[in-house]
Amino acid sequence: MTEEPPLVEVSNLRVRFHTPTRIVEAVRGLSFSLGREKLAIVGESGSGKSMTGRALLDLVPWPGEVQADAMRFKGQDLIGMSGEARRRLRGRHLSMVMQDPKFSLNPVMSVGRQIAEAYQLHRRAGKSEARDRALAMLEDVLIREPARVFDLYPHEVSGGMGQRVMIAMMLIGEPDVLIADEPTSALDVTVQAQILDILEKLVTDRGMGLIFISHDLPLVSAFCDRVIVMYGGRVMESLPARELAKGQHAYTRGLLGCLPDLDRPVRRLATLQRDESWLRGG
Amino acid sequence: MGPGSIIVRNLNVRFGEAHVLKDVSFMVGSGESFGLVGESGSGKSTVLRVLSGLNRNWDGVVEIDGNPLPQRPDKAFFRSVQMVFQDPFASLHPRMTIDAILAEPLAIHGLDQPDRRIERALAEVGLDGGFRFRFPHQLSGGQRQRVAIARALILEPRILLLDEPTSALDVSIQAEVLNLLQDLKLRLGLTMLLVSHNLAVVGHMCSRVAVMKLGRIVEEADIESLRKQGGQDAYTQELIAASRRVALASA
Repeated sequence: MTEEPPLVEVSNLRVRFHTPTRIVEAVRGLSFSLGREKLAIVGESGSGKSMTGRALLDLVPWPGEVQADAMRFKGQDLIGMSGEARRRLRGRHLSMVMQDPKFSLNPVMSVGRQIAEAYQLHRRAGKSEARDRALAMLEDVLIREPARVFDLYPHEVSGGMGQRVMIAMMLIGEPDVLIADEPTSALDVTVQAQILDILEKLVTDRGMGLIFISHDLPLVSAFCDRVIVMYGGRVMESLPARELAKGQHAYTRGLLGCLPDLDRPVRRLATLQRDESWLRGG
Repeated sequence: MGPGSIIVRNLNVRFGEAHVLKDVSFMVGSGESFGLVGESGSGKSTVLRVLSGLNRNWDGVVEIDGNPLPQRPDKAFFRSVQMVFQDPFASLHPRMTIDAILAEPLAIHGLDQPDRRIERALAEVGLDGGFRFRFPHQLSGGQRQRVAIARALILEPRILLLDEPTSALDVSIQAEVLNLLQDLKLRLGLTMLLVSHNLAVVGHMCSRVAVMKLGRIVEEADIESLRKQGGQDAYTQELIAASRRVALASA
């Protein structure tokens, strides 16, 4: 085990967007490594957490530019790799559950066929085998009537069901690393717990590495092993998930402070006071 | 009951074969904040759609301001009951400016002085005049939800229906929007019906809550008693446990 390189290594990752008027820096110097564990990246929208996931998969949209001192998957250099080779990794070895099923699923193809297609592509399997696997996968993500849901189109499924369809599609290739972008934000608490159990099992049984992108601090604190807190494309703080509540950075404290709590009613919720100096240095 | 009160008795809604609301009954007093929690598909949003007049196919008794709600309500009704939807990215017309979005309900209801009303509505939700001639895509999620709230308030409703108003927003923005809603409620004496799957949010905003499951209300309780004694129903207990588990992690 000690000989094995980390699943993912990133050093000084920068993602920039060149627009006519200025350069927008979505990620500014992020470094981390991922083993067979659950790593959380938290922060508000616009903090660069989703772009980090996309950069790993080579899915940063035009006119985005990705630079890094190093970006490796299982020791293989990702930066020098051809687009073709990156594409072969994608889905089969490195996979990402996108945030919004409404925009990420093909609207004119039944959800079951989309899952089966992913399996056929990665496994070179036949049609009927792919269909069986897709049905089994739907069952694994706790969809009650897989055979009925298989033939539904994306607009016919609820947000929570769409999210589970996405998870099924991304897991069917049995990737080594799964990047999950807000995978449970549209789910009810009961289903959410079940989906987290599935992800947990994949990490402990299969040794998958999980990058869990979320803005739900209490959830990642309970579920993940380590947490990176991002703001404005920078890392504010990196700490063990269990100790998230003891986070020292003003931003972490601010985020924790504005959550309503059933047992501690307050008249007004605290709001986050942002500080320009967080974006400098470090 | 007074202005802004809601009475629902034995409300039933069917969509073809599916029986989505089964004998739903509850009452909301004038100026009260009432929460509806439950899983997706439990019928929470359907209750709001009936109350807002968007769903015209229902059985039972619904009274608003003490007057029975007809199956086809008139224009004055729509002015008194307004709704804020979950997704501020989907609920604002992408090709209309904020000014046009806010002017539309005024034109429909033939209200005077649209200019002054738009200015006031934006000020009420904490947006300065610079936002007035922008398009929704130029606004952040929190700013868009403020516009959606302004659009609801511009008709001076007595009842505000809120369908998961903050679940698409970051926690920091959620806190700002919830504070805004609290302020508006106190200032304008609004009755609020808040649908959410987050019991902590409902606990913060409301005094009473009904828990829905599979089209039925399984329990109705004071937030205070839920906090102290927990729920009676197993599903309520599960929801409380979930929100405590989440809270404990940050304690």
